[in-house]
Amino acid sequence: MDIIAGIIQTSILAGGVLALAALGEVLAERVGVVNLGVEGLMALGAVTGIATVVATPNPMLGFALAMVVGFFFGMVFAATTVYLRANQVLCGLALTLMGTGMAATIGRAYSGTPAPATFPPIAIPYLSDIPLLGRALFTQNILVYLIYIILPVALHWLMFRTKHGLDMRAVGENPAAADAAGIPVQAMRFWYVSAGAALAAGAGAYLTLAFVPSWSEGVVAGRGWIAVSLVIFAGYRPINAVAAALLFGLITSLGFVGQARNWPIPSPVLSMLPYLGTIAMIIVPVLAWQRMRRLMAAPAALGEPYFRDVR
Amino acid sequence: MIKIRDLTRRGFLNIGAAAGASLLLPKSGLISPARAAAPLPAVAEEDAVIAWGYVGPTADEGWTYAHDLGRQAVAAAFPKAKTLFVENVPYSADASRIFRQFAAEGANMIIANSNYGDFIYDVAKRTPDVAFYECDGRNPLDNLGTYYVAHWYPSYIAGVAAGLMSKSGKLGYVASFPVPSVYSGTNAFLMGARTVKPDATLQAIVINSWFDPQAAAQAGTALIDNGADVLFGIMDEAAYLQVAEQRGAKAVMWNTDIRRYGPQAYISSIVVDFSAWYVEQVRRRIAGEWTPTEDILPIGKGVDRDAWGETVPAEAAAQADAIRDKIMGGWSPFEGEIKDAKGNVKVAAGHRMTEVELYNWDWSIEGVTGL
Repeated sequence: MDIIAGIIQTSILAGGVLALAALGEVLAERVGVVNLGVEGLMALGAVTGIATVVATPNPMLGFALAMVVGFFFGMVFAATTVYLRANQVLCGLALTLMGTGMAATIGRAYSGTPAPATFPPIAIPYLSDIPLLGRALFTQNILVYLIYIILPVALHWLMFRTKHGLDMRAVGENPAAADAAGIPVQAMRFWYVSAGAALAAGAGAYLTLAFVPSWSEGVVAGRGWIAVSLVIFAGYRPINAVAAALLFGLITSLGFVGQARNWPIPSPVLSMLPYLGTIAMIIVPVLAWQRMRRLMAAPAALGEPYFRDVR
Repeated sequence: MIKIRDLTRRGFLNIGAAAGASLLLPKSGLISPARAAAPLPAVAEEDAVIAWGYVGPTADEGWTYAHDLGRQAVAAAFPKAKTLFVENVPYSADASRIFRQFAAEGANMIIANSNYGDFIYDVAKRTPDVAFYECDGRNPLDNLGTYYVAHWYPSYIAGVAAGLMSKSGKLGYVASFPVPSVYSGTNAFLMGARTVKPDATLQAIVINSWFDPQAAAQAGTALIDNGADVLFGIMDEAAYLQVAEQRGAKAVMWNTDIRRYGPQAYISSIVVDFSAWYVEQVRRRIAGEWTPTEDILPIGKGVDRDAWGETVPAEAAAQADAIRDKIMGGWSPFEGEIKDAKGNVKVAAGHRMTEVELYNWDWSIEGVTGL
């Protein structure tokens, strides 16, 4: 019983990093911009988070400042890709290289310092006393509730239940038509890409303030790339993205639990599980649910800079 | 047992050569005799360039950090010599490029703090006038030496303390890869623990990285969820110590004193110190005495247990330190009969494992699972 609760608790904690970064990427991709800089933004957010709590032991402030830093770098990225129409893939890769490099340089002073303040787990009264699942679901830090409940629901509502969300999606599907309808395509792209970058940096801060809690170079360890691929699997939908991140966290921790409990499966196979899982998660829906294809398709104008004069 | 995947063609030839050489050159003691090669000529201290290729960042607070302290000791001991280093040298053809670049910059001695296999071997072969050292290396040349630390002794000592402090008798190990360093670490740790808790077992989780705080944290959590109350591992960072601190378990670490990450959980650490050894090798190189060696730095001279953590009971510390004194006095716990996990006798009764056998340990003893 404790084992199951433990698995769920760690998969929620581990999946949170991916979920937040994936939500940011959903925002950017829904308006038609591929941001491959997530890895770098996460590194920047991670180092900002730790630097802030070392200066003033307030994890909330660390998380907020990380998002501000992410927003700033997101604006730089968005300005080059949206207004200057530079190649999104190349700019994203550049952002990753720059972000990880800068974070490593800044972080040198902070490596080897445990985070002096972290997000403590908060037990929700009554709910956390539910046997089996209570401890796993309702004794988490405040960011977990934000990432798994508040943000995805809010973003889903924004994207699929409001006029503004319809405009957003139109910008990603057919910017020319959106432009003709009077939607400010470039402004829309600019602000949502920046906001998405802020969430990615927030994911980095989550890493150093709630999950690992310390900075070391390479702490992001490729989770930014996984977040980008989760978005594709999730069909560019916020709630799906969070569910996919949770599933990924679950599969990952199953691999560790499998080794700990000595399942008769070789450890390389167990370590492969998350990746096998990802492949399966992408292949199965394509084969099994043909009708889903349309719903899960990428925004039609994804990755294409918009030129008003050549429409 | 020889693993096929570790075996290159040259490795195969070396086994033959080693078998032949072992007949001629009996390996006595910890430091093997220099290979038959003329020493490299002396260099003036002001012309000397000593270069390090690091596997990780110097800020890792672990393995590379410890080696960089050694580099700083060299710089302090030979203030006129120039020291260079490159961090995060990948295990790829890029490593060869970096070592070649060092040679092109006039390096007299190039030191790699991890095993780079063919990527360093090929460069060493082509630049015979440069001295090379490869940590954890296994294919020496006339100008390529190897070095490592006898970490199995402090692991055994820490195991004694861990056995005394464990209530469940279940130990956990966060492993990088199933390589000899990990086998000797897990085996020695459990053997130490079993001297005081005969039914102790050790469960390992392989995370396929030397440095992945997220995976190490999850592995540590899974081990504790499974009942382990003392964690050990071979990581270049402190993630599983932080997990142990949060969960009220204990942990033994590696490389450096990192107790501040988990003061309540910290038992000890396998601390490494290459300063004296590096200074000596550079001195030999500058003086024109250098021939390659295959060194395993003994306990007390490059590797040791760290000062005990604040929650280690005085009796446990004293009992473990008594074993340490015995080992420093020449006693070895690694004496037959030792059985592997399948119950086969691998070390016959009365046979004392040599340092080279310990260095190349590649099977689990009975009680270790997960590797």
